[in-house]
Amino acid sequence: MQGVAPLTETDTKPRPANGQMRRNPPIAGELEAIQKAQAGDGEAFEKLYAMHKRRVYSLCLRMVSNVAEAEDLAQEAFLQLYRKIGTFRGDSAFSTWMHRLTVNVVLMHLRKKGLPQVSLEETLDPSQGEGPRKDIGTRDLNLSGSIDRVGLERAVAELPPGYRLVFVLHDVEGFEHNEIAGMMGCSIGNSKSQLHKARMRLRDLLKSGQVTAKDGAK
Amino acid sequence: MINISADCAAFQEQLPELIGENQDPSAHPHLATCENCSELVRDLLYIAQQAKLLLPLHDPSPAVWEKIEAGIDKEPKAKK
Repeated sequence: MQGVAPLTETDTKPRPANGQMRRNPPIAGELEAIQKAQAGDGEAFEKLYAMHKRRVYSLCLRMVSNVAEAEDLAQEAFLQLYRKIGTFRGDSAFSTWMHRLTVNVVLMHLRKKGLPQVSLEETLDPSQGEGPRKDIGTRDLNLSGSIDRVGLERAVAELPPGYRLVFVLHDVEGFEHNEIAGMMGCSIGNSKSQLHKARMRLRDLLKSGQVTAKDGAK
Repeated sequence: MINISADCAAFQEQLPELIGENQDPSAHPHLATCENCSELVRDLLYIAQQAKLLLPLHDPSPAVWEKIEAGIDKEPKAKK
């Protein structure tokens, strides 16, 4: 497993993902705030914080599913921004650049914690490391129409961290597999495999009733 | 409970690649004859679609900014 790939502005050029790019559009006054913050203006930096705090914090929260940890990570992301804002040249969307910076902060944090689940190598446990799990049963419930946001949030929080990271990055945040592979230092195939396993686990969780889904999904 | 067939196993081996490439596997020949795998594919695509519901944003507590300010005070000046 390689380390987290360093953030470069080249990496952060907006690209369509999953048919759409779900990044923040430019924010009024953002460019001016960036330029002033680059010049050392503390109030301008605070404005940037106000503009991006929700998106940064929400991303952290989705990736770690823990409020205190997410707040610490959001704090670290903005401190990283303070250190690195002078390197932002403005030829990519700031929100995308900030987004990527945040992802890198979270990944670094999880690696430092040494959680084996953070690895994208398929060694989470023996049953999960044997390639795609097969669906062998008859179904008594079709998921279509049965998932609400709260139920899905709960199910995602139940995922092992490695699965959750890839699911959030790909299906929620819209990163492509090649981008995820670059950030996490794994192969594209590994990213696809983890995503598939994450979705399979979510399906199991939602169908088993271990998390709440509407319309009698239990 | 239905035992998985060789065809199902072969199809499901391909699924991470098929869905991972954002292809629509619905037209795969195996699905024309296998309701179990068809339902699996429908569910997985539905989960991916519903993931977009997770975009709503949350606010951090005010303490986060206070800690950032305290952290900035300890930092050297930002690079220009």
